[in-house]
Amino acid sequence: MADVTLYHWEPNANSGKPMLALEEKGVAWTSRYINMLAFDQHKPEYLAINPQGTIPAMTHGKLVLTESTAIMEYVDEAFPGPALMPADPQDRWRVRWWMKFMDQWLGPSFSMLGWSVFVGPKVRQLPREELEAAIERIPLPERRRAWRKAIEGDFSDEELAESRRRVALGIAMLEEELGRRDYVATDGYSLADINVFNSTYSLPVSQPDLASREKTPNIMAWLKRVYQRPAVQRTWAMGTTDLATRYRLVMEEVG
Amino acid sequence: MPDSSSAPVLYHGEPNGPSLSVLAALAESGLAIECRAIDLLAGERHALPGVEVAQALEYAVEGEGPVLVANGEAMSEAVFLAQYLDEAAGGCGLQPADPYARWQMLMWCRQATERLSPAVAYLGNLAHSQARLAATGHGEFAALLATIASEDQRKRWQELRDGVIDAAKVEDSKAKVAQFAARIEAQLADGREWLMGPFSIADLETCAWLRSMRELEADAFAGQDRCLAWMDRAEARPSVQAALARATTANPAHSFAPGPEINRWG
Repeated sequence: MADVTLYHWEPNANSGKPMLALEEKGVAWTSRYINMLAFDQHKPEYLAINPQGTIPAMTHGKLVLTESTAIMEYVDEAFPGPALMPADPQDRWRVRWWMKFMDQWLGPSFSMLGWSVFVGPKVRQLPREELEAAIERIPLPERRRAWRKAIEGDFSDEELAESRRRVALGIAMLEEELGRRDYVATDGYSLADINVFNSTYSLPVSQPDLASREKTPNIMAWLKRVYQRPAVQRTWAMGTTDLATRYRLVMEEVG
Repeated sequence: MPDSSSAPVLYHGEPNGPSLSVLAALAESGLAIECRAIDLLAGERHALPGVEVAQALEYAVEGEGPVLVANGEAMSEAVFLAQYLDEAAGGCGLQPADPYARWQMLMWCRQATERLSPAVAYLGNLAHSQARLAATGHGEFAALLATIASEDQRKRWQELRDGVIDAAKVEDSKAKVAQFAARIEAQLADGREWLMGPFSIADLETCAWLRSMRELEADAFAGQDRCLAWMDRAEARPSVQAALARATTANPAHSFAPGPEINRWG
């Protein structure tokens, strides 16, 4: 037993990254499900693990690690198993470049759209006092603002349009990248694929006008290659809520 | 056709911010890579020879930073270029070998690139680059903008030229610079010489961005004596001295071009 515990939500976006990396490496790990929609991540028990109140977080023995992409890099280096980073320095640079582009430029736009149509409406069903108390417990001011915005559906048309512009451009860039090689950033499966996949796997269902067999054949072929990996199958089987249904729909779409 | 097999070239601005960070990392690595100075505020970064794959240049989150052209590919982002140089040199000591120490370094660098560098770039551009850009002729500026592929990057250039000042962003940026100086002070409280213990990319990246703020945001460093002493040590390193010696202007800490955007969501 490697003494690894991962505190995570669904196998999706940020939580999905270390889940997939651990499964690919074949690391035995203990799952602690943090229900983001019940604000588990801002409760005292979790803040004792990660005072920032962000998910995921991972403990390895006495060590505590946060930030999904950085956790993946640690998992790849700290454990035996198949290498999830290429050996060539320029390929390694490219993997990092794509992960930053995803984490800081494209991902927030996916997230804003996802929160405006999914997370916001979901949590809005909770009683108002409960929501207010939950927001007050959020340690980071910028996260507090983000949650308030999502809960109140307070996204301007302008910022939603900018997010849609970025998503469309990002999909086009990914399609171009996957025309150059079979995987994102390098010739073999890497952390870049895990990173990008976790934010794009549902595109054929969520953005059918932008991603489809006709419009983005390279992305669809790549999604299929990634879906077929045993580690992805095992990780997705851990999904609950509506996401489990969404995975099935995506699988049917990609065929 | 550009010759993609030609030797790599590092195109850099004045030694400040990301250009300083990468030039110093190159000196630390000992690699013999040709360096060519370009004027970032004239948009020269968007018209480099020998680039066949340009996406990392066009969509760099870092904004107008240095570009390494290798095998026909434009490579960007100062921290990753420093990692590349370290790894291409077979490990020159810029990254810890222990996975957890490496995670700590990457987390520090991420704070520097996500919180500190957008703040410094915002304040530095307004103080030092806005006037020059505003004085650029209309046709000349339009021609410059036409070479920039990224729409949001073009918008940052345009707003800088137009002198658009967002008071909330100015305040937020000042606060972030002060918070970072305090964060460094706390990190050094145990008497360590460098941010991660041994010298690393974290020192280069942080010092390269923060040093211009000594003049512009002097109050942020009041009472932060360990932070100031650390910055002096970093600047005294031969690699940083070699990078600073590449300056073609009187004070490279005044040299800015549109940088990373301030987080737009969460």
